[in-house]
Amino acid sequence: MQLTRARAFLVFLVAFVAVAWPEVAHAQENGSSGDKTAERKEDKAQKEAEVGKAPEDATTKHVSLDVAGYTDSDHVSVFTPSVSGGIENVITGAAVRGSYLVDVVSAASVDIVSTASRRWTEARQAGSAEVEYKPHDFGVSIAGSTSSEPDYFSYGAGVTMTYDLLEKNLTLIGGYGYGHDTAGRSGTPFSVFSRDITHGAFTAGLSGVYDRSTILSGVFDLTLENGDSSKPYRYIPMFTAAEAANVSSGASIDYVNAHRLSERPLEQLPLSRRRFAFTGRLAHRFDSSTLRAEERIYYDSWGLAASTTDARWIFDFGKRFALWPHVRFHAQKSVSFWQLAYVSGPAPGWDLPEYRTGDRELGPLMTFMGGAGIRTYLGSEADPRRYAISLQGDGGYTAYSDDLYVTSRAMFLASLRFEGEL
Amino acid sequence: MKIVLAAFACVVFCEGCTHVAPYERGRLAEPDMTRLDLDGPAAEHVYAVHEGAAGGGAVAESGCGCN
Repeated sequence: MQLTRARAFLVFLVAFVAVAWPEVAHAQENGSSGDKTAERKEDKAQKEAEVGKAPEDATTKHVSLDVAGYTDSDHVSVFTPSVSGGIENVITGAAVRGSYLVDVVSAASVDIVSTASRRWTEARQAGSAEVEYKPHDFGVSIAGSTSSEPDYFSYGAGVTMTYDLLEKNLTLIGGYGYGHDTAGRSGTPFSVFSRDITHGAFTAGLSGVYDRSTILSGVFDLTLENGDSSKPYRYIPMFTAAEAANVSSGASIDYVNAHRLSERPLEQLPLSRRRFAFTGRLAHRFDSSTLRAEERIYYDSWGLAASTTDARWIFDFGKRFALWPHVRFHAQKSVSFWQLAYVSGPAPGWDLPEYRTGDRELGPLMTFMGGAGIRTYLGSEADPRRYAISLQGDGGYTAYSDDLYVTSRAMFLASLRFEGEL
Repeated sequence: MKIVLAAFACVVFCEGCTHVAPYERGRLAEPDMTRLDLDGPAAEHVYAVHEGAAGGGAVAESGCGCN
């Protein structure tokens, strides 16, 4: 019995010393060196992080300020300041994000000049908000957006779901979004003139880890549009069959006005459109650079088929700088009802073609964009990426192969962005 | 033909995939691997206006084990 008590006392004594000694030693050191105390705290926090313990505050706040400018050879310029931010909690999987931007557009394009209109300037405001909750493998995101300009108002909402499989090696993606647009004429109340256009967009895809350095993803999009999206300002020149045969790509405003019929009806597009797109993405991390590339294949019920390729290779230069080249190539064939010169019958019946458009982006075209960006990290030595400023500039050239008035367009887009973690 | 190509791509993707454990994803966790806003809002708008195609907008991607 005494032996048992002695053994128990000995065990208690050893345990007490084992627990108390580091504290005593720590108290002794505490009085002599504050720096060592700080180092111990850092070590402790690091060890806690390493073993997966939750930090006291798992919430991060992000803010981004962006200013961009665009100009092109068709006398269009756009100035776009924007701000976005978000709050995320990595423990609960909850996040809230929002953004707001203003587009100030000034245009005197050839399409405007061809209708004897003056340069116009207008502003568009757009905002979006998103709430995401993904505590474990299953996540839901609900987002809403709105956009307003003098002759156009739109809003939309959507839900996106993700489900992780195989220890997050594979993620299934599904979603649906609904949007409603009201198109009108500038200076005319929507109650007097407006057209409603609705959008329903389905998304399905998967994203997966290919190897330790590569992520691949593929996403299908199906968008159903209903309503009259014809522009109420866009007048389409009409020709006799004989004159139409002589009209060449890039024909000048003077030539068109001299040879067209007196009737110049408004644009008329089909009242529904089904859009299909498949987008594949690749992200690959090298030792000190990241390659991002994507390819989109597109087709719609109007007959427009397109391919868009985008790639960016981000090179890290130490802990403070990143530099990247960026290229983008887009090629498309026209919608089925596209005509360089539309033919109509004589007055008074005219016998106009059912569908007619002057929207250059519905015709055959190829666009090449190329540029570069640089990002510098301004955070502390321990966390340099906490703040960053990036500057990006892209030049572009579009070749129109079957259009009136122009055969090409050169453009330049530049943006300056500040990002910070608060 | 398109279906065959799509099926072939799926097979290549699935066959080539390697199961990567969470502790092996240091490279995948690089922020530039998954960030969705490489193009700013102005660039996205320019693409939307100048290209007749639509779709393929940024969607949440994972695989890095960081969400």
